[in-house]
Amino acid sequence: MYSDVRFKLNGEEKCYTGDPLRRLLDVLREDYGLTGSKEGCGEGECGACSIVKDGELVTSCIIPIGAVNGCELLTIEGIRDTEKGKCIIDAYAEGGAVQCGFCIPGMVMATYCLLNKNPNPTEDEIRLGISGNICRCTGYDLIVESIRLAAQKGAALWNR
Amino acid sequence: MEQVTCFMPQTLQEALEIRKAYHATVLAGGSDLMVTNSMGAGITPKFSGPVLILTGVKELKGIHQNADGSVSIGALTTSAEISRSPLVHPLLIDAASRMGAIALRNSATIGGNIGNASPKGDMPQPLILLDAELVLKRVDGERRMKVDDFILGSKKTALADDEIITEVILPPQEFTHIFYRKIGMRRANAISKLTLSAAATVKDGVVVDFRASSGAAGPKVARSRAAEELLIGKKLSELPAVKEEFLDAWNGVISPHAMPEYRRNSTRRMLAYFIDALAAGHPAGRVE
Amino acid sequence: MAATRIGDRIKRVDAVQKARGEAKYVCDLTFPEMQYAYLVRSTVPRGKILNISLPDFPEGYYFISAKDIPAKGKNELWMITKDWRCFAEDYVLYVGETIGLVVGPDRGVLKELKGKIKIDYEEQTPAVTIDDGINCVGGPMFPEKNSNVMCELFCEKGRPMEEVFAEADEVFEETITTPYQEHVHLETNSAIANYEDGKFVFYASAQCPFYIRKSIAGLLDVPYDDIIIRQLTTGGAFGGKEHFPDVLCGALLVAENVIRKPIKMVFDREEDTQFSVKRHPSKCIYKSAIKDGRVIGVQGHIYYNCGAYLSSSYVVLQRGVFHGNGVYTFPNTYLKGEGIGTNTFPTCAFRGFGAPQTLFAIETHMDHIARHLGVDPLEFKMKHLCKQGDETTTNGHIIEEVKLPEMIDVLTKESDYWRKAKEYAPGSGKGIGISLYNHGGAFTGNGEQAIIKAHSLLVKKGGKVTILVGSTEMGQGFKTALRKICAATLGISMDDVDYPDPDTSKVVDSGPTAASRSTMIVGRLVERAALQMKERWNEGDFSVEVEYEHPDGYPWDQATFRGDAYLGYGWGAAIIEVEADKLTNEIKTVGIWTSHEIGKAIDELIVHGQINGGVIQSLGYGAMEKLENRKGYFRQKSMSDYVIPTSMDFPKQFYHIQENPYPWGPYGAKGMGELVFNGASAAFVDAVERALNTKFHSIPIPPEDIEEALKNVQ
Repeated sequence: MYSDVRFKLNGEEKCYTGDPLRRLLDVLREDYGLTGSKEGCGEGECGACSIVKDGELVTSCIIPIGAVNGCELLTIEGIRDTEKGKCIIDAYAEGGAVQCGFCIPGMVMATYCLLNKNPNPTEDEIRLGISGNICRCTGYDLIVESIRLAAQKGAALWNR
Repeated sequence: MEQVTCFMPQTLQEALEIRKAYHATVLAGGSDLMVTNSMGAGITPKFSGPVLILTGVKELKGIHQNADGSVSIGALTTSAEISRSPLVHPLLIDAASRMGAIALRNSATIGGNIGNASPKGDMPQPLILLDAELVLKRVDGERRMKVDDFILGSKKTALADDEIITEVILPPQEFTHIFYRKIGMRRANAISKLTLSAAATVKDGVVVDFRASSGAAGPKVARSRAAEELLIGKKLSELPAVKEEFLDAWNGVISPHAMPEYRRNSTRRMLAYFIDALAAGHPAGRVE
Repeated sequence: MAATRIGDRIKRVDAVQKARGEAKYVCDLTFPEMQYAYLVRSTVPRGKILNISLPDFPEGYYFISAKDIPAKGKNELWMITKDWRCFAEDYVLYVGETIGLVVGPDRGVLKELKGKIKIDYEEQTPAVTIDDGINCVGGPMFPEKNSNVMCELFCEKGRPMEEVFAEADEVFEETITTPYQEHVHLETNSAIANYEDGKFVFYASAQCPFYIRKSIAGLLDVPYDDIIIRQLTTGGAFGGKEHFPDVLCGALLVAENVIRKPIKMVFDREEDTQFSVKRHPSKCIYKSAIKDGRVIGVQGHIYYNCGAYLSSSYVVLQRGVFHGNGVYTFPNTYLKGEGIGTNTFPTCAFRGFGAPQTLFAIETHMDHIARHLGVDPLEFKMKHLCKQGDETTTNGHIIEEVKLPEMIDVLTKESDYWRKAKEYAPGSGKGIGISLYNHGGAFTGNGEQAIIKAHSLLVKKGGKVTILVGSTEMGQGFKTALRKICAATLGISMDDVDYPDPDTSKVVDSGPTAASRSTMIVGRLVERAALQMKERWNEGDFSVEVEYEHPDGYPWDQATFRGDAYLGYGWGAAIIEVEADKLTNEIKTVGIWTSHEIGKAIDELIVHGQINGGVIQSLGYGAMEKLENRKGYFRQKSMSDYVIPTSMDFPKQFYHIQENPYPWGPYGAKGMGELVFNGASAAFVDAVERALNTKFHSIPIPPEDIEEALKNVQ
C-alpha cells in the first residue's frame, strides 16, 4: 500500500516497499544487514549511526526511510574497501584512534566527508568536522591525529 | 501495531491536497519529529495520525534574492545550506551554523525549526529580530505572516491544519552593528541554554534602529519593541543615561522556567556590553 | 616473523575490525527465532505494590516476574552481597527497579504491551539525597538499625583529633560535594540469553563474565557450569558493566528458563541514562588543623549516596576513605566513611571507584586553605607531599619512591605554571590550576589473595599460544597489551598469540576486569606463565596455569582496615589553564598538561589514549556533566540533556609518562586506567576559581552554577 522508496545504497539500486516511517538506521541494520552503523542515542546526538547521504553526513537514526527516495547513500560497508576508506581505517589503526570502537564507524564516515570537502584540514577544522560524533573513550586527541595522518598519507586521494 | 498512513508527495500541489484532505502531520527534515515520536531501536516511530513526508518536494528547497532586495528561503532548506549562503543575513548564519551537530544541520530544515516552535529552537530568534515573514500555503491560496506572530508559544503556532510553511522571507536589513551569542550546553553539538541577537544602525551619532531578541529565555523568542524604542532616536552620548531603563525593560520580557537568574543576568550583561560598545563609538561591523 | 618487544609501537589488535564496522557487539547479533525483551520497571521511588494488572498477552508473548523463579531458586542477585532483588515484589525501593520483563517476537507489540501494564502503588516518601538518607526521610530503610547507613568504616592515624584541633593556630572547615555521573559508554547495556545444549548461554556486553555467572546462578539454583557467559565486543564500560550486567542477565535467565528461545535485550539510551548504575554522589566534610602554615591534622567525614542496594558500594566507600588524604602526609588523620542508602538507582563502579570524590574534595580543600593563607596552592601542596616510607592513613607505608616532585617539575616548565600563576591576577578572567592525585592499584589490601585468587592459563599448540583468561577488552586496550606481554616474554610475534573474548566454559577466572588490576595483576600472571612456558618451549603442545601469589611482608587486616592498603599506586599531576567569558560565565579550557607515573607503559600509544580519555572524562565531570535527581527521578534523560564533551570542548593535551618500575608488575607496569580520571576536574575548578576569584564547593560548574557562586562571594 505504500509507494516504493528507490535509492542507491553503497552503489546498488534498492527498492524499499515497507513502512516509510521506519528509521533509516533500522532498515540499514535489519533489512540490509549493514550493522556497521550503530545506535548510540537514537536522537541524532551522538553520531554513531552517521552515514553519507548525497555527499553530506547525516545521522540515520532520525531520518525516515521515506525521506531518502532518489538519494545516494553510503555506509561504512560501502567505503571500507575503497582506497579512501582504507586510507582512513589504516590511519585510525596506526594513530591509535580506536578504543571501544562503538563510535568509530560513524567517526570514519565523518572523516570521509571532512576530507572529501577539505583535503588538508587544520586541527580546528578537524575538531569541528567530528564535533557531532561523540566518543567517550579517547578524549579525541588521537582521533584528530589519525585524521591528520589520513590527510597526509592520502593527500593524492583527497585532492583528486 | 497499527500503521499510520504516510504520504510522500513529489510536488507542492500534491502535498497541499494531502494536507487539506488528511491534515497530515508535515515532516520536513524529521530531526525533531522522528525523535519525539520515537519508540526506540528497531521500532517504527509512532505518529498519532497520517504523516506527510515533504522531503521529495524539490520546489521548497533553495535560497534566492527577490527583486525588492528581500531573500527567500525555501522551507526545506537545511541549516547547513543556510549557513553557507552569501545571501543570508549574518545573524541567521550564526544561528544556523551553531545549531546542533554537523549531521543534524544537514537534515534539519528552517521550515521544520519554525514549525516545531521549540523555545530552544535556534532559527526563530534571529528571524524575529530580522522581522522575517513566512509564506503559508494552502490549496486555494496563501497568506504571509511575521514569524513573531506565527509562533504563539512553546510548541504552538498559527499554522492551520490545511497549510504548509513554504518559504521564509527576510526583508532587506542593513545594520551598522550586530552581536550574536549562543550559550549552549557545551561548545559544539549543543542545545541552546540561551541565545541573544542584537543589532543597531548608527547614523551621524544617532541610533536610528535598535533591536534585540532573546532565545531560550521563555516560551517563545523574546523581543520588546517598547524597550527598543527607548534607545531609538537617542544620540550615542545619551545611551549611558537610558541604558539601565532599557535593561530593566528587557529584563521584564524574559520569562524562563529554569535558571532565571543566569538567563536574565547574562542577557543583561551582553546587552549592556553591546550598548557600551555603541556608546564608545565601536566601528561598524560585528561586536565580538 | 619478528619477535614483539615491549617498546614496539604497534597497531591495536582490534582497531581495523572495529573501524571497518565488522566487530560484533550484542546489538549486531541475531539468532533464528529471536525474541526481544524489555524490562518493566518501577515508576515510583518508594512504595508498596498493590496490584499489577496485565493486558491480554497474544500467543508467544510473556510477562516474566518473580513468580517465574522456581521454588528452589532465590530472588536475589549475588554481587558483593545478595540484597539486590532480581525482581521487585510487594514493594519498590527506587524508580527503575525491575518488576518484570516482557518477552516476545515483535518489539513494537512488546512496547505497546509494556505501556498497558498497570501497576498500582501505595506511595511512600522517598529519601533521595545524602541528607535525606542521614535524616531517614520517609522512615529508615533499615528499621532494625533505625538508620539508612548501609556500610561504614574509619581509619585513624596519629593523635586524637580534639587534641590536634586544640593546638592549631586555626581550624579550616568546609563541605564539598560531588555529583552523580553517568558512564555513557557509547554502547548501551545489552545481553542475549539462549539455551544451547542444555546450558544457559549469555552473550553479554560486560566487564566481568564470572561475576555474572556467580550472581545469577542462585535464581534457578543451578550449578555454575550450567551457565555460560560469552563476552562480546564491549563498547565501553568504565565500571558501568562491572556488576550491572547481572541485572539484565538475571532477568533474562528467569525468562530463558521459561521460554527457551534466544532472547535479546538492548537498552535504549533513555533507559541507560535513567535506569542504570551511576557514580556515587558524595558529601565530604573536611576539617583541618593548621599550625605554622602547615596542615597538622585532617578530619574527614565522607558520605556516599549508595542508592537502594549495596552493589559494590562498600568497596567503593573503602577506596574513597583510603584516598581521603590525597597525595599528602598529614601527621594526624581521622577519616570516616558512611555509605547512605536512598531511594534512588543504586550507584556502583565508575572509573576511579570512589577515589575521585575524595581526591576532588581534598585537592579543593587544600587549594582553599592555600588561598586563605595567601600562598600559591602548588607551593602549599608541595610542602605536604608524601614520600617513600611515610605512614599512610591506614597505618601502612608508602612502599615505592614517590616521583611527584619530578613530575611537577616537568609540568610546571611545560605549562609555564609559575609565571602564569603570578601574572594572572585573581578575577582577571584567566586562571591556571593544578591538582595532584594517585590511585592504589588492584584490590585493596590482600583482596587479590584472599578474595580473587586469580589464575591465568596459556595453551601452546605448535608455535602458537592462546591466552585463556576471563579478563575482558572493553576499549581499554587489554587484548593488545596482554598479547604484547605474552609475546615479548616468549620471544615470539604477537601475531602468534591469540586471546579470544572470554567464554566462562573455556577460560580460567582471572578476576574481574576492574580496579586497574588487569595489566598489573593479570599481566603479571601471564608473564609468569609465559616464563614457565618459555623454559619448556620445546616440549611440544602443553599448557601452563599459574595462580596469584601475594608478596610477603605487607600485612593487611580487612577487619580493622589497617596495614598496607596498596602495594603500589599510580601517581598523577594535572595542570589546566582556562579563560572565562565574563559576560556569559562560559569557560574555555586553553591548556591541559598532565604527567602520570604508571610504573612502565606496556604500550605507549594505548597509555596515551587512556590518559586523553580519562582526562576528558574528568573534565566533563568537573565542567558540564550534570545529572540531578529530583524526588527520585533523574532529570536528565538522554544524550541531549546529559551532555558529555565533544571534540571542540577541550584542546589537545600535553602528556608525560613517568617511569618508575614496579617490582610486582609485568615489565614494571602498574595500573593506570582509573588514575587518569582522578585529578583533572580539581585542577579545572582551581583554574576557574582563580580566573573568577571565587570559590566552589561542588561540581559540575556550568555557567549557571558559576553565576550562583559569584553571587555568593559578592
